[in-house]
Amino acid sequence: MAESGWDCLLLYGHSWRKDFFRCLVNFNFFGPYALALLTRSNELSVLLSHPWDQENLAGRVDADIKCVANFAEAIPSKSKTAIAGREFMEARFVDESTVSATAAVEKLRRFKTPAEIQFLEQAAHLADEGYRHFVDTAELGMAEYELVAEVEGFLKTRGAEDNFMLIASGGREVFGMRPPTERRFQKGDSITTELTPQVNGYYAQICRTLVLGEPSEDQRLAFSIFCEAQTAAENFIKPGVNISDLARVQNDVFRREGYGEYTSSKYTRVRGHNLGLYPDENPYVLEDVDDVVNQNMVLIAHPNTYLPLSGYMVFGDTLVVTETGCVRLNQTEKKLFSK
Amino acid sequence: MKRGLIIWDKSEIPPEVFVRRVDDVRRVLEERSLAALMVYSDLARSHPARFFSNLMLYFNRALLIIPRESPLTLLCGLSPRVYGWIRSVTTIEDIRPAGNFARPLFELAKERSWTRLGALDLDQFPYDIHKAIRSGSVEILNVEAPAVFRPDADETELAMRQKASAMVEEILGDEMREAVGSIDHHFVGRLERRFRRAGAEDLIVLVSSGRTVPAPPTGATLEEGFSACVALEYRGHWVQLTL
Repeated sequence: MAESGWDCLLLYGHSWRKDFFRCLVNFNFFGPYALALLTRSNELSVLLSHPWDQENLAGRVDADIKCVANFAEAIPSKSKTAIAGREFMEARFVDESTVSATAAVEKLRRFKTPAEIQFLEQAAHLADEGYRHFVDTAELGMAEYELVAEVEGFLKTRGAEDNFMLIASGGREVFGMRPPTERRFQKGDSITTELTPQVNGYYAQICRTLVLGEPSEDQRLAFSIFCEAQTAAENFIKPGVNISDLARVQNDVFRREGYGEYTSSKYTRVRGHNLGLYPDENPYVLEDVDDVVNQNMVLIAHPNTYLPLSGYMVFGDTLVVTETGCVRLNQTEKKLFSK
Repeated sequence: MKRGLIIWDKSEIPPEVFVRRVDDVRRVLEERSLAALMVYSDLARSHPARFFSNLMLYFNRALLIIPRESPLTLLCGLSPRVYGWIRSVTTIEDIRPAGNFARPLFELAKERSWTRLGALDLDQFPYDIHKAIRSGSVEILNVEAPAVFRPDADETELAMRQKASAMVEEILGDEMREAVGSIDHHFVGRLERRFRRAGAEDLIVLVSSGRTVPAPPTGATLEEGFSACVALEYRGHWVQLTL
């Protein structure tokens, strides 16, 4: 704050994006909005929009805590105020004299403390257990949403705060994942999932593909490409390497095998991303993103894309960057699952 | 998880319901000489766009555009790879990449010679989009929600909420009978499984021993006299019940 000349920093959260608020006040609020206000002299106050939140937070943080009926009017208008989350804040809450602190706070959040890494380890462990349950439960004739219900129930039973999950099933006609549908699993289906449980606010992710029945030669060949690309990323990551190169080493495997066109945005989104209080944090792993990997970043490398061999396939693990390389937080076997 | 099963069951909400809702909007657009109404949607604010089109995003952001004289258009932050899925669960056919929303909006306005557009509760748009769409030559005017978005006066909306409430009452009631002595996480896990199997899209469960207000589960044992608050989303319709 001192470097930027800010007298007051506001960290805003709403029911979808709680991450900026939670990076300072790690409290899972129920109401629609929450705001943490930090002054340069280190005084903290919290504005909440639901009375239950006020009572539940009281005594847990050394701050002046208020619940307000009119959130817009309650936001203090101070000079030299910066807001993290300003971009997604409702326009009526934003004073034009403020500036955005989103990028600056996001950058601070990229590098995790030992305590944060512990939560991410717990979340990754839960992701492993959740995926095991996913594989054990999936069966012919089951609908996608029924499988998701079983996995959600499992994760919540084990204490997950939330879970971000996408799924798809079928063959070469599948171009991406989305929420579950009523489609029922058939023999030979590839069932892809991105499973992202949340522990104490922090998300870790696992991506795997399960084939119902004996995988075809094409499915096996496709998986070998994904596995090699993800392993290339894992071997490449260390402090100082560029994010664009991290994307490139994965894409190069596809190019070498003659599938370069399937690394474009027509078929895929990103080759990975950071993880933390939001399941899809910056930087995105793409060849046109110029950013540097550093120690204590936690990210997933996932070369998920469509291939004509197999349809959409996914494969990825949560990784923590160490002094000399990276360590995998997921322990699930690196293989094409089948049953 | 946000979100689970997202479908459009036409036996629950027939297409003519959306036609009627959109026609009501078009009447207001006509009265106010507006070419189209923009409705913002994301995970935290999905209610109005769902009401007009059955759109329920699971991630990212979108701007639903209801033109006065042509079918709906969606400016969508999600990948074109899921446009087919969006078309299968909504009334929307025309879907375009959103970018920063302003550019495709201005292109659309130019393509159709639009000069005045309405925005549903404009001051509740995210600040970045609010700023971007007001940076061009197209005049953007606020349309206050009560003029076009009246879910509480819509029979289908109320029927869907009643269906969701009945689901909560039945499943929560069932599970509470057996829950004393269980760990709260296990109780919540059972609720998740049952509600999502019954077609719920999203679920928030808070529990209370009676000594505090409801709060997320902590791993505590549920005692006699505990209460639970369930906020449930079914086909985009949120209800909340505490037992």
